[in-house]
Amino acid sequence: MGTSDEAGGQNRAGDEPEEASTSGDGETTVTEEGSELERSIGLTGGLSIGIGTMIGAGIFVFPGLAAGDAGPAAAASFAIGAVIALLVALPASELATAMPKSGGGYYYISRALGTLPGAVVGISIWLGLVFATAFYLVSFGSYAAALLSEAGVNVAGLPIVGTLALLFGVVLTVVNLVGTENAAKLQNYVVGLLLTILVVFLSYGGLDVLGVFGSESTPEQFLPFGVMPVFTTAALVFTSYLGFAQVATVAGDIKDPGRNLPLAMVGSVLTVAVLYVATIFVATSAFGSGRLATFGETAMVEVARAFVGDAGAMAILLGGLLATVSSANASVLSTSRAVFAVSKDALLPTMASRVNLQYGTPHIALSMAGGPVLVLVAFGRVEVLAEVASFLHLVMYGLMCVALIAMRRDEPEWYDPDFQVPAHRAVAGTGAVASFGLIAFMQRESQIIGVAIMIAAAGWYKYYAGDVRLKGAL
Amino acid sequence: MADERSETPMTTDSHTIREPPRLLIPIEVLEGESISASLVEFLAPAEVVLLGYHDLPEQTPTEQASMQYEEKARTAIDDIADSFRGAGGKVETRIAFTHDRDQTVDRVAAEESVTGLLLPNPVGEIEEVIVPIRGAIDVDRLADLVATLLEDGSRRVTLWGLAEEGDEFDAEAAVEYTRNTLSERGLPDDQVSTEVSVAESPVWDIIERSSEFDVIVMGEGGPGLLASLFGDPSERIAEGAVAPVIVVRNR
Repeated sequence: MGTSDEAGGQNRAGDEPEEASTSGDGETTVTEEGSELERSIGLTGGLSIGIGTMIGAGIFVFPGLAAGDAGPAAAASFAIGAVIALLVALPASELATAMPKSGGGYYYISRALGTLPGAVVGISIWLGLVFATAFYLVSFGSYAAALLSEAGVNVAGLPIVGTLALLFGVVLTVVNLVGTENAAKLQNYVVGLLLTILVVFLSYGGLDVLGVFGSESTPEQFLPFGVMPVFTTAALVFTSYLGFAQVATVAGDIKDPGRNLPLAMVGSVLTVAVLYVATIFVATSAFGSGRLATFGETAMVEVARAFVGDAGAMAILLGGLLATVSSANASVLSTSRAVFAVSKDALLPTMASRVNLQYGTPHIALSMAGGPVLVLVAFGRVEVLAEVASFLHLVMYGLMCVALIAMRRDEPEWYDPDFQVPAHRAVAGTGAVASFGLIAFMQRESQIIGVAIMIAAAGWYKYYAGDVRLKGAL
Repeated sequence: MADERSETPMTTDSHTIREPPRLLIPIEVLEGESISASLVEFLAPAEVVLLGYHDLPEQTPTEQASMQYEEKARTAIDDIADSFRGAGGKVETRIAFTHDRDQTVDRVAAEESVTGLLLPNPVGEIEEVIVPIRGAIDVDRLADLVATLLEDGSRRVTLWGLAEEGDEFDAEAAVEYTRNTLSERGLPDDQVSTEVSVAESPVWDIIERSSEFDVIVMGEGGPGLLASLFGDPSERIAEGAVAPVIVVRNR
């Protein structure tokens, strides 16, 4: 690629990368023509995007599956995930404060490492988010089905989970296409409610397990299946940590990004990590991992029933519905932003960044999020969906760490982050190795799908936009 | 900027304006919102900041919308600006893409240190202006504004004091003080009339009488429980009334 600092080149349709915004401060970005772009998401909003995206999977879906694979040591799997997420969140924060633009990881990688890695990440993160959304929707289906059977509706023998997930996927896509005014505020309340339910439940469960009420439960062996499953489970449950980078995809809307972006990313990872580890501890203590595994995705409902009775089960059911919905919705929105960032740079047809004249929403980008999701929901295998999503995100995370090291080495004139990672080589280096390393522990099937998507993305880039230059262009 | 102006009083003809009024006019420009010719003519004596804004659904990044709509918004706001220039007014324009209209309007109002804010409503010929006075209001700014807008002598203003039952607010004194300040600013007494009434719900009373007048000029009103539940009184009035509302900002 060229060394010029201008974005340039043309794609097959003759479009060039658009450079929209240039300068700005903590409250607005100002475009070249002088229009102001208001930043309207504060720290609470940023945290709520991060936590809201992540919490659905880790608490309400994985405990049963993870305990079945790794026993009580699943708590360690979640801790490993948290460490990797933090190692990536720090470099991501620095890059985000230096380039507070919509698009997140794709943007940093394309500017620091060049168009090919950028294009591969940009396109595969679009599909990675599609896989993640499908995973959240299937989980939603499990909770909705559990709620139906709780209500006494007999659904035995019907493909009820997939049907509910599909239906809800359609609803979500349509709602976003029509456009919403206050969904973000609602999301803040939903996340607040979820955190409240979880803290109450986990404190009660934790005290109970420790023998404060009733008898102390005997802990089972911590590593019933050995060490290896701890890592394969970490690879599986890493999907629970995909949300923090979604904060960076809305970086262009975040107020005072120099302060709020790092706080929101690191803060949301720490918050969910503590909750995840506590959840596994409480859940495996309540039932023993073998029994827990038989409950599958909705294991937490049974855990709550064991501690607090039917009221607890209902609270967790409600929590699971809210959490999976908020994860799915946040992912659809991030997907549409990821598509926009890539198409703005002429790596996808610029059509995709069109805004609908009637509803004012980016209908093509949203359809490119919602449409493939429905196909994957029909495919319906939770563990593969989750792992492919993690795979594609981990590639981006690893490359973000590499991008940080490259940026610090090249120090372009415009590179002036408000937040700087201490010992950046060690942090980003470890982050990159850990991110790529975790991929090795995934199922073969997920690895094949992930690699195929990346190769297809590279092929598309060569075919469609081989002349586009992005490196170094802010 | 604002400080310089307030330190150098401008003298025109017989009256003295302390701080030439500066009005912010937010216009949802891509929704086809506009300002009628009679309102342009009425407001032209003040300095005007036109803010063309586009309030986006949460799904749409501001950058994405700006790429598509920037030119259209600029053309539309420039047309409106030209109509002000045609009426002899001084005008500046700004364009903003936002997810939160109130945040944008407040920010621009502060940055431009405007003395007032227009909440548009349809209006015909402008002859009668009403100033409901319900409590603390920046009388200096209000008087500068009203005296400037009414300087050509063809329009009348009614100062209307509203006290709530059992309220400590002395509406009569406030109206008298405002009338004196207006007179100091050089507005002839025969253009001013006053009245005072006891109101159960000032907001509703003002909305109900709005059809008798062409423009409402009022204070911002402080924060309060009702305001946080239902929105600012001025916004509720603009919503219900048939006249444009000019809100005088607190300092």
